[in-house]
Amino acid sequence: MLKGHQSWVFQNKPMISATGVTGGPFEANGNLANDFDLLYEDLWMGQESYEKAHRILLEEAIKIALDKANIEKEKIQFLIAGDLINQITPTSFTARTMQIPYFGLFGACSTSMEGLALASFIVNYHGAQNVVTGASSHNAAVEKQFRYPTEYGSQKPPTAQWTVTGAGVGIIQPNEPGKKNPVTISATIGKVIDMGLTDPFNMGGAMAPAAADTIMAHFRDLDLDPSYYDLIITGDLGRVGHDTAFELINKSGLKLERNQFQDCGILIYKDDQPVQSGASGAGCSATVLYGHLLNEMRKGTYRRILLVATGALLSPLTFQQNESIPCIAHAVGIEMNN
Amino acid sequence: MMASKQKNMTPEQQKYQQLQQKHEKKRPVLKNCIRAFFVGGLICAIGQAISYFYIYFFNFTEQSVGNPTVATMVFFSMLLTGFGVYDRLGQFGGAGSAVPVTGFGNAVISAAIEHRTEGFVLGVGGNMFKLAGSVLLFGVFAAFVVALIRTVLSIWGVL
Amino acid sequence: MHNTYRFIILMSVILLVSCNQDQKAKDSQLALVKTTNPPPVVTDGHKGNDQVEKIKQDVSSFPELYDVAVVKGKKAILVAYKVKHLHRFKMKKIEKNVTKMLEKKYPKEKFTVSSDYKIFLEVVRLDEKMRSSSKFNHRDAEKRFNEIVKMTEDIK
Repeated sequence: MLKGHQSWVFQNKPMISATGVTGGPFEANGNLANDFDLLYEDLWMGQESYEKAHRILLEEAIKIALDKANIEKEKIQFLIAGDLINQITPTSFTARTMQIPYFGLFGACSTSMEGLALASFIVNYHGAQNVVTGASSHNAAVEKQFRYPTEYGSQKPPTAQWTVTGAGVGIIQPNEPGKKNPVTISATIGKVIDMGLTDPFNMGGAMAPAAADTIMAHFRDLDLDPSYYDLIITGDLGRVGHDTAFELINKSGLKLERNQFQDCGILIYKDDQPVQSGASGAGCSATVLYGHLLNEMRKGTYRRILLVATGALLSPLTFQQNESIPCIAHAVGIEMNN
Repeated sequence: MMASKQKNMTPEQQKYQQLQQKHEKKRPVLKNCIRAFFVGGLICAIGQAISYFYIYFFNFTEQSVGNPTVATMVFFSMLLTGFGVYDRLGQFGGAGSAVPVTGFGNAVISAAIEHRTEGFVLGVGGNMFKLAGSVLLFGVFAAFVVALIRTVLSIWGVL
Repeated sequence: MHNTYRFIILMSVILLVSCNQDQKAKDSQLALVKTTNPPPVVTDGHKGNDQVEKIKQDVSSFPELYDVAVVKGKKAILVAYKVKHLHRFKMKKIEKNVTKMLEKKYPKEKFTVSSDYKIFLEVVRLDEKMRSSSKFNHRDAEKRFNEIVKMTEDIK
């Protein structure tokens, strides 16, 4: 149901019944390694190219989620997913393997929440019984496309971020009362915000206003106070962008506590891992949400969270042509079913 | 450049950028310079040692030892790039590892490794010089311009 | 990061150990780091040739230079020297001055002048060989001398 200007409220509360999360070697050394279902030792994952490895990440994540939900893939109506590679081929090729009717999404690193919002909407209005949604990224494949070759020795500035190797997917089903599962309650679709930043090594700074805008729109549309959520967590702003977004939101008059406002890109890696400002990539918010955050919710650490995934909608072509970086953020509210 | 960029921006964008800059961590320029000094110095010292090695044990003079030394350094750089060490050295040493010829080797070799999956002709062949190509182009062009100026001056009898 | 430090320490230890190994190194091995000051060499073996000694002194009087080596062959005289570090930028000019001075003072001789370290090293080696090995006769010396001169010509 539309509420306010750009938000949905899911009154039927579709539930995230099972999740599958895969990661690479760098994530295995990270902070949240225990929350991954499958971790690969090698960045190649036994494939001949990083792009194929990227595909394997998503395929395995979907298979794990299907196993956990104990459901055959023929019962899945739709796959709603995306990634960062040209023409989102890793996701489309996965859809070819899985033979599930498929919506391909591109929202850069915000794809995970774009997918979850759409999947919840479809399930909420009985458009489907089972929907798989998720997002993935592969460090080497993404760096190859957006930056320099992986082995090229360039010095990254402290504002740079590290692309996550990983895929996170969830299965969205209609609510069954009594089942202890996380459910989606609302979503806010963001608009594209461009503050004129042009440095591709400072994505956090470019994306922060989009995150702040979506968060403010969410509370305005739903007429809520930030204290409604135990945790408001941004997708991949990194340290630089996260601090900036926090200041922007507090300046607007919303009262947000510092410990209530976190970032997936800061959470996922340890402090001593050489990731500069933090993590990024479509897989960042997807792996942290479907892995760590939902596990924590099941444990009871958080009862209600708002995940705001941010995306920088640039291509290597646009920043070489000196265009600024347009950014977007989508928010989905999730709570534990009681 | 900066001023003309500023003009095209709305006041809102300018205000945000000021706010953002407060949070943006600056590159630690002095620290990077010191690291670059030592890493670059170390690489050059190794190069010097190799060139004396060639002078002592082979028939190379100080003038002609350059070629085998460069080839050896690029070979080392290739090994380090392939084993995934050079990019870490680059993050630590910055310009110190980028400016010596090993950095040039790294630029060529990393691109070649990266695009190996697209095949030898269109992948390796087509992309090998995607980083180093502009260095070659502008290096050759600059040399041409300098040589041209020198030739003209010597015809006029200035030099 | 830890491994990097370990590697650097290991390399320095290896370097120090290898430097310590042979204390009685030959002059030619140490010519890089110390002033060798080799005696003038005459390929046909006539020691105490005043002219060669004189040439060495003349060249040594240049303040920009240290360590001069002179070899007199049948047809030409080879002068090799090391240039002080801070004067290495003016190497071409120094070479010109040395050549000019020598040609003016000894108009009858044919000079080959070089600041290349390789030439210097080979001259020191030639001297060592002539003194230490009895098998190395004057003809061999002359042959080697000509090879060295040819090497300097290749540079130019």
